[in-house]
Amino acid sequence: MSMVDGPTPLHTAKADQAAEDRGAVGTPPGSSAAARRSGWFGGLGEKWQALPRQKQWLFLILVVILAYLLPIINPPLISTEPGNDFPLACQTMAVWALVAVGLNIVIGYAGLLDLGYIAFFAVGSYVTAMLTSPDSTFLKIPYLWTIPVAMAVTMFFGVLLGVPTLRLRGDYLAIVTLGFGEIVRILATIIPALKGQVGFQNIGHPPGTDASGIPIFSNSNGTPWYWLTLTILIIVLLLAGNLERSRVGRNWIAIREDEDAAETMGVPTFKYKVWAFAIGAGVGGLSGALMSGQVGFVSNAKFDVVTSILFVAAVVLGGAGNKVGAILGGALVAYIPLRFTSIAEYKYLIFGLVLVVVMIYRSHGLLAARQQLLAYGQKAYAAVKASSDAKAAKAKTGPGKEAAS
Amino acid sequence: MTLLELKNISVHYGRIQAIKDMSFTVEEGEIVSLIGANGAGKTTTMKTISGLLNASAGSISFMGEDITKMKAHIRVVQGISQAPEGRGIFPAMTVLENLDMGTFGRKDRSGVSDDLERVFTLFPRLKEREKQFGGTMSGGEQQMLSIGRALMSRPKLLLLDEPSMGLAPQFIRQIFKIVTEINGQGTTVLLVEQNANQALARAHRAFVLETGEITHSGTGKELLANPAIKEAYLGVG
Repeated sequence: MSMVDGPTPLHTAKADQAAEDRGAVGTPPGSSAAARRSGWFGGLGEKWQALPRQKQWLFLILVVILAYLLPIINPPLISTEPGNDFPLACQTMAVWALVAVGLNIVIGYAGLLDLGYIAFFAVGSYVTAMLTSPDSTFLKIPYLWTIPVAMAVTMFFGVLLGVPTLRLRGDYLAIVTLGFGEIVRILATIIPALKGQVGFQNIGHPPGTDASGIPIFSNSNGTPWYWLTLTILIIVLLLAGNLERSRVGRNWIAIREDEDAAETMGVPTFKYKVWAFAIGAGVGGLSGALMSGQVGFVSNAKFDVVTSILFVAAVVLGGAGNKVGAILGGALVAYIPLRFTSIAEYKYLIFGLVLVVVMIYRSHGLLAARQQLLAYGQKAYAAVKASSDAKAAKAKTGPGKEAAS
Repeated sequence: MTLLELKNISVHYGRIQAIKDMSFTVEEGEIVSLIGANGAGKTTTMKTISGLLNASAGSISFMGEDITKMKAHIRVVQGISQAPEGRGIFPAMTVLENLDMGTFGRKDRSGVSDDLERVFTLFPRLKEREKQFGGTMSGGEQQMLSIGRALMSRPKLLLLDEPSMGLAPQFIRQIFKIVTEINGQGTTVLLVEQNANQALARAHRAFVLETGEITHSGTGKELLANPAIKEAYLGVG
């Protein structure tokens, strides 16, 4: 038959269409607009919750293995080559995902609009650069040690910015953080020790050389860097997940939803806001340290306001308050200009349009924040159930006891 | 015993003075109502007592202790709990999570389940909806949740800011009935209302607030019978 010789894409397209038709038959025609809208991505969350625990773990492990293998597989359609080296693109995406996860703690959980997050990214980069580059006059320490130092220093900067500004709310906070981002960039230009546009070269990297004596973590070899960043991303994700489910996470959400109400519940809102800022800043510094190590060069040029706004766009696009969404948003914002190099010039135009479309059709981002009982609530629920069951049991035996006494 | 005492309190928003030299006391076990028109300073008074606003002059004491400079989240631990104007519930949290937020300042975690029972007995509707998200409930249910949440810290003084705002008449009657019930269980209630009729009928004592000053005071019944108040706030006479 001629069908056999025909182009295969046509065949798969038909099969896909058929599958879609079957799917369409499955949805009742009377389903509400909201339900239909959430079917695209939003339904994923519910389906995910419905899966048994083992299947969730199995799926997660598969995703993680695939993520690690990504630069080696170099999938043809997804690959950014020949325009950009794919393993390096993976590294960039992982760094952006990490940035988005960190910023998501500030914007998504605590609801603090930080438009100057780039400042923390910059501080992390500069700490690493100044402690490892031969261009700086500071004491030198091994690269891996600069990571915790960079985090500690950026957390300090987070507190430094947070304490005076977190008494402000909403728009005012956004403006002040925007200013802070610019201040850090300008300081990098005018303070001689930070070397402005000249910057720092030959920034350190983790130890180890391959058989031929070339360092494993060289600037052009993206795969080991990507693996390092991905590993750190997974660790940060696990920690952020724990925070989200803890009392701290719930206080952040309470502050996000109604700050005055949270305060009158007894939540020290100011303290928790500073914490959110500091932890978010620490993750920002961490990503800065990883980025500067791989690139090997830091100057004031990279830390502009536009990049800071793109960070926010990544969080909003992915779905503020959802850490998986943040990863998706961060990776996408980094990936699109690397993959489609011919349209990279128009990336802000395209991001603008994409954001408008996403905000119209999915105002909570691609993956909306989970609408489910947080772990703390589940625990409370179990406790209440137990106590009311006990009360019911007592009520049954109650009259008999009273009669006896 | 005097539970709460305001002495010559003034509150400013920038240069605008919202409260002028206000003094009153709330005795333990009472229901005290503050009534007044829009902009009389009712909510400002409440926010000053709960600590969301700072007084520019004067002092507040609670159980004999000066709390004028105390932060709002510490006043909760001391026993002042507020159901804020406009309910202030957390829309993305379930009813149960909202109620649990109310226990934040408590030190005796063991008493929580008893208080939850109590709230569910007062508001059976909340028990029916315990897993529903706060933001998806009706106004009356949200008001119940707001009061229930304020009770979860087992307060000595419950501040209710316009519990009847925007509610249907049968809900208003129900809410006020429950307020009396809560008071009967030993919680002192300070109530701010525009719905003067119900607020005065339920109160042991009441104050009338006009542009930041107390103009009338007396028992609820006295004020209900006062012709000037009848005309100004009850729409009769």
